This record gives sequence, structure tokens and C-alpha cells, in this order.
Amino acid sequence: MSDEPEGTNVAGTAPDIPEVVETDEATLTENAELERTLGLAGGLAIGIGTMIGAGIFVFPGLAGAEVGTAATVSFSVGGLVALLVALPTSELATAMPKSGGGYYFISRGLGTLAGTVIGLSLWLGLVFATAFYLVGLGFYALDGLAELGVSVGSSPGIVVSVIAVLAGVGFTLLNITGTENAAKLQNGIVALLLSMLVAFLSFGLLEAFGVVDAGTPPGEAVNVWEVGPVLSVAALVFTSYLGFAQVATVAGEMRNPGRNLPLAMIGSVLIVTVLYVLTIFVATDVFTQDRLEMAGETAMVDIGRELLGTPGALIIIAGGLLATMSSANASILSTSRAIYGVSKDALLPRWASRINLQYGTPHVALGLAGGPVVVLAATRQVQLLAEVASFLHLVMYGLMCVALLAIRRDQPEWYDPDFRVPGGPVIPVLGALASFGLIGFMDPVSIAVGIVVTVATAGWYLYYAREITLRGAL
Amino acid sequence: MTRVLVPVAVLEGEAVSPGLLTLLDTVDVTVLGYQVVPEQTPPDQARLQYEERATVALEDLTREFRTAGGAADHRLVFTQDRERTIDRVADELGARAVAISGMTGDVERVLVSLSGAVAVERILEFTVELIGDRDIGVTLFLASEDDTATERIESAAQRLREADIDVGTVVAGGPPFDALVERVASHDVVITGEKAPSLRSLVFEDKADRVASATVGPVLVVRYESAPDEHRTG
Repeated sequence: MSDEPEGTNVAGTAPDIPEVVETDEATLTENAELERTLGLAGGLAIGIGTMIGAGIFVFPGLAGAEVGTAATVSFSVGGLVALLVALPTSELATAMPKSGGGYYFISRGLGTLAGTVIGLSLWLGLVFATAFYLVGLGFYALDGLAELGVSVGSSPGIVVSVIAVLAGVGFTLLNITGTENAAKLQNGIVALLLSMLVAFLSFGLLEAFGVVDAGTPPGEAVNVWEVGPVLSVAALVFTSYLGFAQVATVAGEMRNPGRNLPLAMIGSVLIVTVLYVLTIFVATDVFTQDRLEMAGETAMVDIGRELLGTPGALIIIAGGLLATMSSANASILSTSRAIYGVSKDALLPRWASRINLQYGTPHVALGLAGGPVVVLAATRQVQLLAEVASFLHLVMYGLMCVALLAIRRDQPEWYDPDFRVPGGPVIPVLGALASFGLIGFMDPVSIAVGIVVTVATAGWYLYYAREITLRGAL
Repeated sequence: MTRVLVPVAVLEGEAVSPGLLTLLDTVDVTVLGYQVVPEQTPPDQARLQYEERATVALEDLTREFRTAGGAADHRLVFTQDRERTIDRVADELGARAVAISGMTGDVERVLVSLSGAVAVERILEFTVELIGDRDIGVTLFLASEDDTATERIESAAQRLREADIDVGTVVAGGPPFDALVERVASHDVVITGEKAPSLRSLVFEDKADRVASATVGPVLVVRYESAPDEHRTG
């Protein structure tokens, strides 16, 4: 038996938490059933599809410019932190296979204040992440235009902003009005991307070890094998790993959650980590730091050109467009679920989760996702957007680990996960320390913005939802 | 008792035609009210907003079945995948057939298709049970160019005659789907087996496609004994 939720928000609305029975195929409420329709492939596509856009197509240039081949270590560190968090998240998700993801676990494990802060931070964190993906998309589109011989005049920056904003508006409208099943499309895009990358990376590796020679200049980057810079880059590129926990935002829709949730989360982290490390290795092998720095966000395009000529550049541009689109789209969907999660629990007004009568889509939540995304995307601040997104997610990741420890200590009767993290408290403790620790290596401006957002969400709790008790209310 | 599942898009105002209500009064009926939500929408979010309305509509519909004479209950499902939901609920209930509602008046003659790899014995058994001692005629239909077709359909017809049912038989060549659709017009209801490939698309595709493809009345799809697993993976 779980605890009852208590209290109402300022508007007098109480959380809507019906008694449910979970089966592998559906959630049964008193009068209705909710079908679980997502399989393992769908879960992996959400995880990988969200993550892969940034790590491969945006960061290699930025990270390689900072520390050279040592960036492989930065990406490995990021992957390790992600794994340390993915394991505890998997345990929580199999115990509470509900939509809402990290927010849900933290509000049930640590109470309403932490829940509100994380619920709203998750929304805003995803907004920052989506804006970041869209700016990446803008840079790739700009390169695509250049490749096609379209001149963009003297202010390419403005063009990037315009493309990012248009794409943001477009995705939001598409999600509000599109009732076609886009999940299959997303799966297809991810499969296509993975095969392109495997082919590209195989060639790049053969080249790097001298098996084949594409005539690249012997310009290996100067490597900075120092702990500080490497970790600082790890903090920057951690945005590439925001995505495995998004699988948990659709936990309520996943079939056989006890098996599929851990597999999808841990599997997607492992797959992207390997791809990221190989990509950065190839990138820093082909180019020196100066070249990487000059090429910036779309350094991969130049690397593709160096290795395979113009077709190589075009492949990378196409891949970059697809990947950033898939990341942005998947994130907008997760955002709307995050908003639904808090609105259902009366931490936001109930109207935020209204469904549009004509399309059956959550138009208010999608608007609350897309609106701020567009504003942020217009700023083009790749680094700032990425780091604030990471900051907000890392706070959530850290608290998820803490929530796991708290729930295990309390041992509530309802807690019966199908998947248990081995090794007792070691992994969640390390996950929490690593998540909070990584924040320390960020740019001070990003940290400041992140803190402002967090404090604002705590203020919202005090004003709006102080009376509500959610701890243990399943 | 034989149970038939009647899926209804309850919030789209889908109704069950009077002819189907009467036809099903010899069997137990479960009305499966469903609403398909797009993937942007968590099913629970739709429940929050629509549960009450849907339940009221479902209760009305279930009452109509009871008034027509049969035993009936209902279930309500919010889903992103209609086919999966129908399969799951039919499995759980051990439903013998799934009824796709369509418009029809009083049922006088039923077209029973035995084409394709279907479980003929189960279809015949179900047909006998459904018709009972009512004055409803059956046309057995088999699209096949095989030499044994006439023999096969005759033995099936014999089985129905033993149950005092007025039986006609049709063996047709050519594409099974077109041949069937040609005969649909002179019948009120079609009974077919699961896995008859042409009809599967007719049953499980979008309503619009279905209407466009055949303009038929209700279709009763007789299920396999144990649920086939193939469309559940993936």
C-alpha cells in the first residue's frame, strides 16, 4: 500500500493519483486501461535518438579544440557518469514504471520540494537542451547551404538563428497537429544514422591506423592530458549524454518495463559512449586543434571532406541534420511529458496538460516546450545552452541517486523493483557524487544561470504547491 | 459461453448497428471502448480528460446489447496502438471472435469466407453457435483454384446443414479479396478467420481505408485458439 497524496495547490487542485495495477502490457486503473505500446526498439530509439545528435555532430570540434585526443577521455568520463546514473535510474524506473521519469522518482522518494524543483527543472533543462540541438541544426543547415553553393551573405550567424527558430516553430506545430505515427520514422532515422556512423567510423579508424590512406595531413592535435581541462571538457560534452533518462519519461508506455527499461537506458548509454569515443578519436586524428577550433560546431563536415572528399562532407551534413532533428524532436516530446507529470500532481495548473480536441495532442504542454525553446535558440549560445541543460539534468541525476538511497533506506512496502543495482549503495553514491561533481567544472556563467533557474523553481513551490504531499504517493 | 469482442472508437461517436446488436444476442459480448491517442500524448493524460465521457457512452452501448438480449460488459482502453489493444483484450478474455462494427439492418444472410490459411473448423463452429436456431442463411465462400476446392467447401457445407442452417456455396477463382468484395453486397455480415491476409488489412487498417476498400457491413473475425505472436513483437 502506498501513502495517500495530501493537500491542494494555490488554485485548490489536488494531485490526481488513482489506484492502479501495473501489468507488463497495460496499466489498469479503476475504470480504464492504459495500453503499453513501446517496445525495446522504441525505447532505444528514444535514448540513442536524443543523445546522438549532439555528441557526434556538434561537440567533436569544440572538445577537440580544447584538449585534442584527450577529449576521448572526456567523453569516456561522461559515459561513465551517465552509466553510474543510468543504473540507479533503471532500478527506480522498474519500481515505478510511470510517465514523468526523474521527476516522478524524486517527488516520490524525496518529497514535494525536491519534486517541484526537479519537475520544473526537467522541463526547463529540456528546453535548454532542445534549443541547443536546434542551434546545432542551424549550423548544419548553413553548411548544407554553402555546400549547395547558396551564399548567405555577411551575417551567417543571423541565418543560423533564423533556421533554428523556424525549425523550433516547425517541430512544435508538427507535434501539435501531426497525428501520424512518427515513432516508426524516428526508429528509421536512428537506424540509418547508426549505419552511416559505423561505416564512416570504420573508414576513419582504418585511416588513423594507416591501413588505408586518404591523404590526410599528418596533423594530429596537440593533446592536453591534464585532469582539469579534461574534466572541464567532460562537463561541457555531458550534454551528449542527456537522453538516457528521457526513456524514463515514457516508462508508463513501455511494454514489459521490468526488462525493457533497464535494457533501453543502459544499452543506449553504452552504444553512444562507444560511438562518441571513436568519433572524437577519428576527429582529433585527422585535424589539429587549430583546424578544429576554426571549424567549430560543424568540424565533422570538414573531417568528412578530408576523409572522403565532397561525398564525405555531404554524408556528414545529412547525418548532422537528421541527428539534430531527431534530438530536438525527441526532446520536445519528453518536455511535454515532463509538464504533464507535474501538472497531474497539481504542481502546475491542470490546464497545462489539456489535450487538444481536434488533434488529441497536449497542445498547451507542447507550446510550453516550444515557446521558450524558440527564444533560447535565437541566442545561438551553443556552449551556454548546452551547459545549462547539463546543469539542470545533472542536479536531477544526482537527486535520483539520492532518492534511490532514501527509498532503499525507508524500504516502503510498494517498493519492489524488477532490476536492482548490484553492489549496494556504491553505485548510487558514486553516481550522485559524480553528477554533482561534474557541475563544478562548468563555466561560472552557466552555473549561475542554472542556479537562478533552480531557485526560481523552489520559489514556485513555496508560492504554489507548499501544501501538497507527494512522498510515497504512488 | 462463446464471447465476442466488439471494439468501438467510443469517443468518436462510433455506434453499433441494430443488425449487429441482434445478431450477437446468442453470444456474450464485451464492448471494448478504445481511444487511440497520438504518440505525443501519454494514454494516462487522455484518461484524465476523457474517462468520464467515455464511460457514460460505453455504459449506454452495453445497455443496448443487453436490451437486444445478450449478456454484455465493457472495458475502456486508452492506447497508441489499436491493433495491439484489440489483440491483448481478446486474448485476456479468450474471445472467440472480434466484431468490426459496420452498418446493417436485420441480418438475413451471412457470408462466411474460408479463403486463405484460416482455421476452418473454428469458423464453422463459431458460425453454428452464433446462428443458433435463428432463420439466418449462410453462403460459404472459398477463393481457390485448387482442384479440391469444391470438395472442401462441400464438406464444410455439410457440417452446417447438420445444424439445420440454410447453406449456399461459392467457389471463385482470381484474387481472393476482389472475389469476396463482389459477393459482399448481397450479404449483411461477413465472417472470416484471423490471418486471411486480405481481410486482415480490411479489419485493422484505418476506418477510412476500410470504408473505401469495401463498403461492407460488420465483419466478424474468428480468432485462432492460441493467440499468434507475430504482431506483438516489433
